[in-house]
Amino acid sequence: MTLSRRRDLLRGLAAAAIAPLAAPLERAASALPFAGPPPGPGSGPSRAVVAVGRREGICPVPGGAVNEARLTEALGAAVSRAAGESDPVSAFRRLFRPRDVVGIKVNCAAGRGLSSRPEAAFQLGRWLVAAGVPPERIVIWDRFSRELKVCRYTAGSGSGVRVAGTDGDWEAKVREWGPSASRFSRLLVEELTAVINLAVLKDHGLAGVSAGLKNWYGVVHNPNKLHEEGCNPFVPHLAAFPLVREKHRLTVVDGTTGQFHNGPGYAPSWAWPYQGFLASTDAVAADAVAWTVIEEKRKEKGLKTLAAEGREPRSIGAAARLGLGTCDPAKIEAVQV
Amino acid sequence: MVAALSAAGCAACAAALSGGRLLRAEDVPGRGAVPLAEEGGLAPRRARWFRSLPGEWVQCGLCPHGCKISEGERGTCGTRENRRGVLHTMVHSRPCSVALDPVEKKPFFHLVPGALALSLATPGCNFECKGCQNWEIAQARPEQVKTVALPPEDAVALALNRGAKLIACTYTEPVTFSEYVFDLAAAGRRSALKTVVVSNGYIQEEPLRDLSPVLSAYKVDLKGFTERFYKDHCGGELKPVLDTLRRLVRYGVWTEIVVLVIPSLNDGPGEIRDLARFVRGELGAEVPLHFTRFHPAYRLTNLPPTPVSTLERCRDLALKEGLSFVYLGNVPGHAGESTYCPGCGARLVRRVGMATLENRIEKGACPDCRRRIPGLWS
Repeated sequence: MTLSRRRDLLRGLAAAAIAPLAAPLERAASALPFAGPPPGPGSGPSRAVVAVGRREGICPVPGGAVNEARLTEALGAAVSRAAGESDPVSAFRRLFRPRDVVGIKVNCAAGRGLSSRPEAAFQLGRWLVAAGVPPERIVIWDRFSRELKVCRYTAGSGSGVRVAGTDGDWEAKVREWGPSASRFSRLLVEELTAVINLAVLKDHGLAGVSAGLKNWYGVVHNPNKLHEEGCNPFVPHLAAFPLVREKHRLTVVDGTTGQFHNGPGYAPSWAWPYQGFLASTDAVAADAVAWTVIEEKRKEKGLKTLAAEGREPRSIGAAARLGLGTCDPAKIEAVQV
Repeated sequence: MVAALSAAGCAACAAALSGGRLLRAEDVPGRGAVPLAEEGGLAPRRARWFRSLPGEWVQCGLCPHGCKISEGERGTCGTRENRRGVLHTMVHSRPCSVALDPVEKKPFFHLVPGALALSLATPGCNFECKGCQNWEIAQARPEQVKTVALPPEDAVALALNRGAKLIACTYTEPVTFSEYVFDLAAAGRRSALKTVVVSNGYIQEEPLRDLSPVLSAYKVDLKGFTERFYKDHCGGELKPVLDTLRRLVRYGVWTEIVVLVIPSLNDGPGEIRDLARFVRGELGAEVPLHFTRFHPAYRLTNLPPTPVSTLERCRDLALKEGLSFVYLGNVPGHAGESTYCPGCGARLVRRVGMATLENRIEKGACPDCRRRIPGLWS
C-alpha cells in the first residue's frame, strides 16, 4: 500500500468513527440474547472486543456489487480495532509473522449471493503482504474450487495470493475430535500456520447462526455428519480441536450482505444489506455479536427469536465453556468503528 | 491405466478368498471413469422421495433421519442436495466400487449358492458406524471419491457379460442410492437378473414399499440390539430398523440378517438372546441370522478382533432360542459357515470362506429327510 493510500484509509477510518452508520449496534453488548456461560474455569477471557465496521454504500443491494473503497474502509477499521492497532497493516504485523503461511478461510457454500466477498478476502491478502507475509505464503481457501470459482475467486486477482479448494485433498487418516471424527484438509494440516476465518453473517435453519465458528465445517470432509442437535456440540468441539484452535488468529464476519432468516442457503427475500464487518480475535465473541445482529434484524422484521423457533445457537455458549472465548455480555465490548 | 474405482476392503478379501475380483475402469462399458465431482463429474437427478417445505426447503423422505435441507445443502448422508427447492440425488449411475463377488460374501446363504453378483456401491451412508469396514467410501461425499458412469442398462449388460446372476447393491449404504437401486432392479428384471441389497435397513416405509416389488432379497445389517448402541456407535435408531425387518417379512422379500459382533460393545449374552427372540417371535425361526467377526477399523481400532469363542457363543444362544439357520462369518473354514438341515442335522451346503464347495439341496429341500429349506435356490 502506498503512503498516500494508507493516509486516505486512516482518514476514512477516523471519519467513520465520528459518524457511524445509524444502526442499533450501540446496544449490541448489552442486548446479547443469552445468559452467557456459567462462571469459573473455561468461561473465557476477561474481556473481548468485537469491532463493528459498517459503511453506507458498501453493498446497497443484497448479494449485489460492492463499492470496494467503502468495503476497504470498513474492513480496515474493523480489523485494526480488533487487533488494537491504528491501521490494518499494523494489525496484521501484530497477528502474523512473515514466516507464517496464512490461510484465509472463506465460505462459498451459499453461492455468489451470500459468500465471503472476494473483494474482502483479497484486501486481507494485500494487507498481509504489506505486513511482510510473502504473497506465495497466503492462501484463500474453501472446500471446493468449483464453489470458489462460482463466487468469483480467481487466483492472483492482483495481489499474488493463492486461491485453492481442498477438493479431494483430505488427509488419508481420520482424526478423532470431540464427538466425531474426520479427515482434515491437508492444506490446513500440512501447510498453514495461521488462519483468518472470513465467515458470512447468516441465519442457519439448524444451528441458529452460521458465522465464524461454523465456518470450520469447511475444513473437514464430512460436514453432513455434523448437523444433529443444532450442530451442537459439533461446532464448538471442531473449533476447539488443536489443529484449528492453534492456527486461528482472527475472525472476520462478512456482513456486506447478511441473511436473517431461512439460511444457510441464499434466500434474497430474507437477506439485507448490513453493509459491514465484525472482527475479533475472540472467536466466540464475534459469533455472539453476529447472533445479536441477526436477532435485532429478525425483531425489526417481526420474526420470532431464534430461541422461540427452537434453534437458539447453543453452540456459541458451548464454545465459551470450552474456553474458546467469551459470550458473557458483560465482557464483550462491541465497538463501532 | 490405474484402477479408477475405490476398492472396498472386503472386495479385496473376496478376491483373495474365493476368486471374486474388483473390476477396473476399463472393464466397465459406457463412458467409464468420470472425473472427481468438483471437476464436473456429479450427475444430479431429481430424487423420488421428498416433500417441499416453505422457503425452498425440502424434507427428505428416504430414511428415518428425515433431514430438512435448505437450498444448496445436503442431508446427513451427503448424497442428496436441495437445488432450488427440489431434492436431487447426486449419485445415480455413479458407482465408486464395482466388483464381481460370490453371493456368499454379502452374506446371502440361502440365495443361489455359488452365484456371482455384480456388486456395486455409490459413495455415502446415512449412518456413521464407528467400526465401519468401508469408511473410505461410505463416509465420503460423492465429490471425494472417484466414480464411473454406469447407467442401469450398462450395469445389466456388464453383469450378463461376466456371468453374474445377480446385481448386489452393497459396500456402502444402498438406501442412499435408492433411485439407482430401483432402476437397476427394474432393468435387471427384464434380463432375468435378481437384484439384492445389503443395507442397514434405515429406510422409511414408503421407499421400502416401492422398492420391495423389484428386489429379490434384502440383507439387513443389524448393528446391535439396543437403542444405546445405535445412538452411540451408529448415529441412528434401532426401532426403525426393526420396523424395516417386520415390513420385509410382510412384503415377502427374502430376508437375511447379519450382526457384526464387536467385543464389549454389542456381544452381551442378554442382548444376543433378545435379538434372537425378536427374530424368532416377529420374523420367523427360518430367517437366517449371521454373526460375523469384527476386525478393527475406522474409529474402533482400539478393540481386538472378535474372539471366535464369542461368535460360537452367539450362535449357540440363537440356536437355543429356536432359530433354524444361524451362521458364522469372517471365520474361514469354521463349521458354522455351512448349512445344516434342522430336521435331520445333515450338512446340506458346505462353505469355506466365501466359496460354496458342495450344495446338496434338491428342489428346496433336504435330500435325506425332505425337510423344506427356505430360500431362493435357483
